[in-house]
Amino acid sequence: MNRSLRRGIADLACRVLQAALPPSLQSWGQAIRCETADIPDDTEALRYALESFCGLMPRALAWHLLRPFASLTGDGPPFHGDPIMMNLFHATLRRPRVTGVASAIGAVALGLVYMALAGAPMRYLGINASALLLGLALLALLGRSLPGGRRLTTAALVAMAGALLATALLGHSVDGAARWVRLGGFSIQPSLILLPAMLVAFARCRNALTTVGMVAAAMALAGQPDRAMAGMLAVGLAVLAIMRRDRFVVAALCASIAGFVATVVRADTLMAVPYVDGILYSSFEVHALAGAAVMGGSLLLLAPAIVGWHRDSPNRESHAVFGALWLAAIVAAALGNYPTPLVGYGSSAIIGFALSLLALPTLEGAHDTASTRACSEADTTPPDQHLLTGLA
Amino acid sequence: MVLAALLHANGEWSHGYELARLADVKSGTLYPLLIRLEAQGYLEAEWQQPSEGGRPPRHAYRLTASGMQLARDNLPVDSGTPAMRIRKAAA
Repeated sequence: MNRSLRRGIADLACRVLQAALPPSLQSWGQAIRCETADIPDDTEALRYALESFCGLMPRALAWHLLRPFASLTGDGPPFHGDPIMMNLFHATLRRPRVTGVASAIGAVALGLVYMALAGAPMRYLGINASALLLGLALLALLGRSLPGGRRLTTAALVAMAGALLATALLGHSVDGAARWVRLGGFSIQPSLILLPAMLVAFARCRNALTTVGMVAAAMALAGQPDRAMAGMLAVGLAVLAIMRRDRFVVAALCASIAGFVATVVRADTLMAVPYVDGILYSSFEVHALAGAAVMGGSLLLLAPAIVGWHRDSPNRESHAVFGALWLAAIVAAALGNYPTPLVGYGSSAIIGFALSLLALPTLEGAHDTASTRACSEADTTPPDQHLLTGLA
Repeated sequence: MVLAALLHANGEWSHGYELARLADVKSGTLYPLLIRLEAQGYLEAEWQQPSEGGRPPRHAYRLTASGMQLARDNLPVDSGTPAMRIRKAAA
């Protein structure tokens, strides 16, 4: 990397950081930029700029995401030493689900920015916004404490697998692919709604019957056929097998790999749907801001997993599976004609993302070794039960 | 270490890069800390014009009286190591 390029990247990082910082901290962004410019060594200047960027950008993003909520809690300049904002920021990081909610809101909002810039019908924007409200409402409703048991959890997971099988056999078919169900004039994709929650729940709760459910889900996705979802299942289970291998995971993983191979062998001739498929690249052709919104919104989906991985080591399996499955969905959307989760038009992924948050721990470290054991009363935590009960 | 480095400056103005080196912290750690210290009244900051032309102005920092007290009350347990590091880096 030559000298001017290093200087250019350093200055760009400083400018982006300065622009992202809240108004009360803009002078600090300027200070970092000037300080960087004064460092004689180019490599050292680049390192200084990038470290500053990494150190302050998460806070800048958190400030933007939490600003609407902060305005509800009182006045005063946000973030700049404001204990309300700092407390909100730290409280958010300690709660994987709250981090996920903030990520969902941010991703959907960025998706709306993309769709508005791309000229999508207003109806699409309304549907995505409504799906977010519905997903968050379900999250709030199903997340409340209710008594439940292992049998109920198992039954619910198997029922969800049954729903996926039913979709493959009886669902709305387009060009040989049966992935959708028609509801009130809308097409929803059950696999996008159910599979993420099933995967994260399976990461925390495993037994013979839930494994049967996952195998059935693999068969259903192979039959639909849906490479993106089959790949999501295989990747999620592979990550789980790496982190916590047992006979249940291995059996489910083998089935999921077989299912994914089956989808790859079969031709997928579905054409790209505007504002749904293939927007990770095409959004930059619309406008640089639209592209940045799509990329930024996609990256936000991984935030709960990254935060949880770093701050909640007892539940790393759940966070890793969560991150892997949504990363798989993003990669699938980049490689083929599959829905671009949350930032693209479509309600299923938005609801699915919200529901998958229910299977994450409520508080970092709160369920110490829950994910390290096979399914038992102890690790069938209330959130999972509510999720599965509600979806069954 | 950042407080120790600022205390070691003994009321003189310090700059970000210099502080990061003296305290042996990354700038991504340094600036959030400086921001917080300033917001809490432990640190004052000012813009300084460059001594030679063509250079950018620089943001400079020093502890306030309460900041000095805070730094004295929170000196690292291993007091020899940071001081040695500061002297070494300053040399």
